[in-house]
Amino acid sequence: MTKEERLKKRHKAEKRFRFYGLASIFFALLFVLILVNNIFSKGSSAFMKTAINVEVFFDPELIEIQNGATSDEILEADFYDIAIETLLKVYPAKTLDEENALIDLFTTDAEIEIKRVFLEDNTLIGKKINLEITASDDIDQLHKGNYPRDLPEDRRRISNFQLKIYDNLVENKKIIKNFNNYFFSNGDSRDPELAGIGGALVGSFYSIIICLLLAFPVAVLASIYLEEFAPKNKITDFIEININNLAAVPSIVYGLLALQILLATIQLPRSTPLVAGITLALMTLPRIIIPCRASLKAVPPSIREGALAVGASKFQSVFHHVVPLALPGTLSGTIIGLAQALGETAPLILIGMVAFVVDIPSTPIDPSSSLPVQVYLWSESAERGFVEKTSATIMMLLSFLIVMNFVAVYLRQKFEKRWN
Amino acid sequence: MSDIKIKSKNLNVYYGDKQALFDVNLELNEKEVTALIGPSGCGKSTFIRCINRMNDVIDICKVEGNIEIDGIEVNDKELDVVSLRERVGMVFQKPNPFPKSIYDNISYGPKIHGKGETKSELDEIVERSLKKAALWEEVKDRLNEPGTGLSGGQQQRLCIARAISVNPEVILMDEPCSALDPIATAKIEELIDELKKTYTIVIVTHSMAQAVRVSQKTGFFHLGKLIEVGKTEKIFKNPDNKMTQDYITGRFG
Repeated sequence: MTKEERLKKRHKAEKRFRFYGLASIFFALLFVLILVNNIFSKGSSAFMKTAINVEVFFDPELIEIQNGATSDEILEADFYDIAIETLLKVYPAKTLDEENALIDLFTTDAEIEIKRVFLEDNTLIGKKINLEITASDDIDQLHKGNYPRDLPEDRRRISNFQLKIYDNLVENKKIIKNFNNYFFSNGDSRDPELAGIGGALVGSFYSIIICLLLAFPVAVLASIYLEEFAPKNKITDFIEININNLAAVPSIVYGLLALQILLATIQLPRSTPLVAGITLALMTLPRIIIPCRASLKAVPPSIREGALAVGASKFQSVFHHVVPLALPGTLSGTIIGLAQALGETAPLILIGMVAFVVDIPSTPIDPSSSLPVQVYLWSESAERGFVEKTSATIMMLLSFLIVMNFVAVYLRQKFEKRWN
Repeated sequence: MSDIKIKSKNLNVYYGDKQALFDVNLELNEKEVTALIGPSGCGKSTFIRCINRMNDVIDICKVEGNIEIDGIEVNDKELDVVSLRERVGMVFQKPNPFPKSIYDNISYGPKIHGKGETKSELDEIVERSLKKAALWEEVKDRLNEPGTGLSGGQQQRLCIARAISVNPEVILMDEPCSALDPIATAKIEELIDELKKTYTIVIVTHSMAQAVRVSQKTGFFHLGKLIEVGKTEKIFKNPDNKMTQDYITGRFG
């Protein structure tokens, strides 16, 4: 081969390599795009909910309380009759079946929504107001275009009569879409139109805080000891290998461990953020120790020597110089570890967080759900409304992860010193 | 003839199985500059790191024999290394200022030794140290800027100022100019000349010219052994040992 030929071959190899690289990036981005597009197209509609504008008449004959009632009295009072009367006025229904079909167009919480208005203004008795009452899941999905109306009636959840009412409501501009506050403020529910991630959000928040409080100090102190103070011998080698092994243990194993130790032996309350936080802390610990040690190792030895040479003790050289310099890397490692913990599902399923929990937990020892488990739960539900809720929850989860990772990258970029 | 400040007797150092120093007996005079020369890996740096026990940091390093400073045994396990290093400062091959402000670089040592109780005392120490290191004029208006932002030569003088700040008796310099250009080197050498009035200085260097310029006494190391030691003039003009002669004339090393 002549010199020119060899040169040509080398250039060609380089070009080929560039092409492979570009192609891989293209494919990677393509898959991300498909994923994001899929989640967005399915989930974005969950942030809006369909409501039906109705006229509520607080008929004094249908209710036992008077204007100016205290909130306790209102909460105890029965608004059922007013609710039914209100809903039946929407469209003339002749038979009992038709009446039931009409009522089914609204959420089962219609009575509570009316009661809530009265709670805010207890002078409404004898008055008429316009109120937007949340529509049932079927109408919601139909209005959002997620429900095929050209199926034969016996295979449809919505009857022809209900469709007629719906079309009539649309014509009279009684159907509106507004922001789905239930999605953020409510806990789980059997009714998709009422189901929200409020409980899961709070549960996840408590779990992550407990995980942080347990894992961060232990991980940082362990890393500092192992990296700066521990003698290098067989025992520390063994510990190091095991930390790396633990980081690779499938998370479900930690779930089993927590099930046996935390729930069966210590008998902590099951399905609670407390147990979830401890389990996630166990799982996250090695995953934080590894980046912490790496960032301690990245501090050049000359800094330690410089401190020692002016007479700093070992402790002073570590805590005055090495640890502050390693802090950005330590923090970003911790945040990334927590982000992983936030998305963790398997161990939480094992400790009972799959339980159906309607109430939003007020303390970490109340039963609760968490975001990824909520995704898992809803993805198994049959109702159409849960499809968009599932995707919307994934969107929320992903945005938390992206924010956390962004903070981690920012901390590292902003505060990490460059050595040269 | 000045007094003997540091005295080593039968000093042996091992890195694991490898012996790095063999029976080194060396006497260093007070308020004088002693240069240690020799090819790479000959044990010069190992020797000066024994004087302030910096080798303690290295797990596998084992030191046998004696080193005395003013008659006090350095290798005594009971000896507090913190107070030893307060008396014996060190400047390293590569400038290693802390990634903090110039002021904090200098004030750190006095602070941990409780030497500057008040802000004004610290200010005074910082100014005095920087002046002694001939850096004051260049940095007095930017004491709050990071020390790592200075040029290489300035950084090294900052490190010297840092060593001076705790008011040591001995300053060890491990190839302090090897990362610097000739102009910065000249400044450091001038500085060493000035500093020897106050401090006992031990400098490791690869540059014969530098040894001749700055030192009064020179020790030649080869393969962990101290081959020859004597007045700098004599070592470079008329060495007793053939190996020293070969090294300083550039025939090996």
